[in-house]
Amino acid sequence: MRRLATLALAFTMAAAACGGTTPTGGTAPSGAPADMSALAPAKDVAPAATLTWWHAMSGVNGDALNKIVAGFNSSQTKIKVEAVFQGTYDDLLAKLNTAIASNAAPALVQVYDIGQRYMYDSGQVVPMQAFIDRDKFNTTDFEPAVINYYKYQDKLQSMPFNASTPLLYYNKDAFKEVGLDPAKPPVTFTEIADAAKKLTKKDASGATVRFGFGPSIYGWLFEQLMATSGALYADNGNGRDNRATKVVYNSAAGKAILDWWKAGVDGGYFYNPGIDNDGAANAFNAQKTAMYIESTARLRGHITTIAGKFELGTGLYPRPDSKPKEGGNIIGGASLYIMKSRPPAEQQAAWEFVKYAMTPAVQAQWQSDTGYYPIVKAAYDQGPSKDWSTKYPQFLAAITEIRDSPQNRFTNGAVLGVMPQARQRTQKMIESVLLGQATTQAALDAAVEDMNTQIDKYNKANP
Amino acid sequence: MKLRNIANYALLVVGSIVVAFPLLLALSYSLMSESEIATFPPPILPARPTLDNYAQVFATIPIVRYLLNSFVVSSAVVVGQLLTASLAAYAFSFLVFRGRQLLFFLFLSTLMIPWEATIIPNYITIRSIGWLDTYQGLAVPFMATAFGTFLLRQAFLQIPRELWDAARIDGATTFRFLVSTVIPLSRPALGTVAIYGFLSTYNQYFWPLLITNQTLMRTTQVGIAQLRFEETLRWGLVMAGVIMVAVPTLALLVLGQRQLIRGLTAGAVKG
Amino acid sequence: MRWTSRDLRSLGIGLAYLAPSLVLFAAFVFIPLAETINLSLFNTRATGAITTFAGLDHYLELLTSPAFRTGLLATAIFAIYTVPIGIALGLVLAVLLNQRLRAINVFRTMMSSTIAISAAVGALIWLLLFNPSLGLLNFVLSRVGVHGPEWLIQPTTAIIAVSITTIWLTLGTNIIVLLSGLQGVPEEIYEAARLDGARGLRMFTRITVPMVSPSLFFLFVVDTVAVLQAFTQIHVMTRGGPVDATRVLVYSIYQDAFQNFQFGFASAQAVILLLLVMGLTLIQFRFVERLVHYQ
Repeated sequence: MRRLATLALAFTMAAAACGGTTPTGGTAPSGAPADMSALAPAKDVAPAATLTWWHAMSGVNGDALNKIVAGFNSSQTKIKVEAVFQGTYDDLLAKLNTAIASNAAPALVQVYDIGQRYMYDSGQVVPMQAFIDRDKFNTTDFEPAVINYYKYQDKLQSMPFNASTPLLYYNKDAFKEVGLDPAKPPVTFTEIADAAKKLTKKDASGATVRFGFGPSIYGWLFEQLMATSGALYADNGNGRDNRATKVVYNSAAGKAILDWWKAGVDGGYFYNPGIDNDGAANAFNAQKTAMYIESTARLRGHITTIAGKFELGTGLYPRPDSKPKEGGNIIGGASLYIMKSRPPAEQQAAWEFVKYAMTPAVQAQWQSDTGYYPIVKAAYDQGPSKDWSTKYPQFLAAITEIRDSPQNRFTNGAVLGVMPQARQRTQKMIESVLLGQATTQAALDAAVEDMNTQIDKYNKANP
Repeated sequence: MKLRNIANYALLVVGSIVVAFPLLLALSYSLMSESEIATFPPPILPARPTLDNYAQVFATIPIVRYLLNSFVVSSAVVVGQLLTASLAAYAFSFLVFRGRQLLFFLFLSTLMIPWEATIIPNYITIRSIGWLDTYQGLAVPFMATAFGTFLLRQAFLQIPRELWDAARIDGATTFRFLVSTVIPLSRPALGTVAIYGFLSTYNQYFWPLLITNQTLMRTTQVGIAQLRFEETLRWGLVMAGVIMVAVPTLALLVLGQRQLIRGLTAGAVKG
Repeated sequence: MRWTSRDLRSLGIGLAYLAPSLVLFAAFVFIPLAETINLSLFNTRATGAITTFAGLDHYLELLTSPAFRTGLLATAIFAIYTVPIGIALGLVLAVLLNQRLRAINVFRTMMSSTIAISAAVGALIWLLLFNPSLGLLNFVLSRVGVHGPEWLIQPTTAIIAVSITTIWLTLGTNIIVLLSGLQGVPEEIYEAARLDGARGLRMFTRITVPMVSPSLFFLFVVDTVAVLQAFTQIHVMTRGGPVDATRVLVYSIYQDAFQNFQFGFASAQAVILLLLVMGLTLIQFRFVERLVHYQ
């Protein structure tokens, strides 16, 4: 009882001390962007000697991350960064939340894309824009698609770190087998359905040996399909002009997506792996499906596992037949946040590290080691990046995709405080449609209604 | 007679394989390359067994350190549980005092409280006394056990009353009796409590994840989770980690299985 | 009834022995529980800080929400599928293992090996097995001409799959407890029954089952509590789906607390779950224990 009151008190004090950056809702975005330098520590504050960084990268990506840290630590003697792995993105966020409550948050933390609004509403973040404004840091060379995702009301809240987009992965050998052109993967819904029908193979007993297309039920994929359809997911400019008050994906675009998906599963040429993303990837590797959609981050893993069993192709992410010009893909992945609860010296140190991580050489190496996008365009001119593109030409589809994506609210992606919940709810929605429990429009409406209640709750609880 | 034995053995073999199958499969997968696992029809035995996955586990996570940490923490919990549960079970079996029944139910009630109800306040407590990233933080919250107390109580109740009476006549103190007579006679039950405590601590995930930040203080289950990467899937690697982590517990089971059964037979669960 | 000084004295001694456990329970169980109960009466921010007093709002919202009722139903179905079958299977296997055969210990170890596997690991392996197209389960079934279901994709089979996994995980415990119960049955009783003409199934139902009924009851209580709190398998295999088919109470508590960061609301659910489990256990003790035959 007393402790919780103390927590609440600690919060109000922290909020007050930090000059009240908690945003008031419902105001229209201002005209000229105000300078945010005041939110960053003064320029002459000496950076702290040690810095803790919480992240969610393990395995190959974890190694690559540690390489960056080692490089930074050895390149100068003022700051030593300690990178700590904290589990999956979900675990990390849960842990961060708990840590914030007891004032144990680190200075630098990697949080996934959909954690944006939550981080912003927590009032615990020093916006990256503050440092950028203060030092007049040049961001013109930064990949626009990536930067725009992490802006709110045109201010950069966090620094993108690992960026990915979804692609169509396809089996070139299977294409050749059924007479499809392996150099021209299908792009529109109808093209994919047609190709999938051709690629589906049954055996003597009528059991399907290979499905044409096998997308997993993953909320992110649905969000991407809305984006390529040039449609909004949430109101108020996808929650970027102002806090979102409702979700709006029960539109014609949403219905078209679900109708296409359902027709495929019902018709027997789409495979339904359920919510098991790993299962969907595995099915593709094992040639149970000839096409599927997933993140570019999985590219390297696929190449290693497929190991010459068949030729791997990548293509653009599916979009409606009309190929809307305003449609394009959203950046996924995670970004780095500098936490306000730490002393200015540590915030300063965090910024120093962030700058280092964004240098072209580091970015090129990061791309080469992991398959994530470089955030700065100059990285593409570096050796490791060039080698990577030569070795994995399949990656080029990804680069084309984000370069060609128009920059607008549809492709910026939705920002919601309850995004993890929203993602779960769309998964439930898709499940109910594919199981035949509801018609597509009814499922969309039900999901939207549920989420609007949740958004209301969130907005009331986090003014 | 012989035929019946053969039938019995057949059933036992089939039954054992079915039950142990998932584990055997994990072992099999741990010896396969990623490429081999991702094939259809699903493989059962590795065509080209390889120890690469195990090497990779060593390279990816400090598995030895994790095993050591788990071992230390689990052992500490076992010691703590044996102490607290023996004392408490003794009170519930030999001592007579008003409110005993109520206190016993109070103990039992702790078994029913969902962990989500206590985990965050516990985190805050541990943090405020500076026990994050420590063995104490990992072990102390679990050193009391209602399950173990219950078990030992049942075992202690099986000890003949005459011994107690005789000891009283001899002038032995209450505590003396516990140490010199009750404990030695309850070894199987104590063994059971020890094994249960070890296994359940060893298999924890969320608590160690929550209170450890330093890699060096982490435990085995957290380690396995680290093998499941955010962006890619490496079943062979995960299974290798699973096997490496399961080996100590299986060893414990092999050694203690007989103990376990005997400990429970000693009236522990007879009511 | 008045407390004499003798009462107080013996209580004091009793408490002295209970002290270490009580202190730990107080610090890490009861006080946190009290905080959770308290939290359930408030609205909270995403970071857990209290905002306004909610009184019984959360409870009312829960009790009137269809999602909660679905969760209760899922929990009930899950328990009904898992507990009786797990115990029955354990009994059958324990009887099989209760023979004096050579190398019986090897078999005993193999069958109780599930006790050494954590829920997370077990669920991971079963996830592989249940994969509708690449998993071994359906492949083996197809070999004998049966078209295996889409285990984790269909709501009805998803809960069965999680149930099977849970039965497997608890099989080790069940076998060990029942085996020791069986070994505690004196041979004389079997002898006497045999002289009376009892054989096979009759022997089993008239003698064996009643003699191990204390163990059966123990497992009934303990397994129910464990199943009602089973979380990891669901998190690894279905995430509460498909379409909330496996969204048992304990899972929705996790989601609301650690994914949606609605602590006040999650706390209310935790309190309800606690009351449910306590109520159920009390019922079990009052009504089912009557059937138990104590020696």
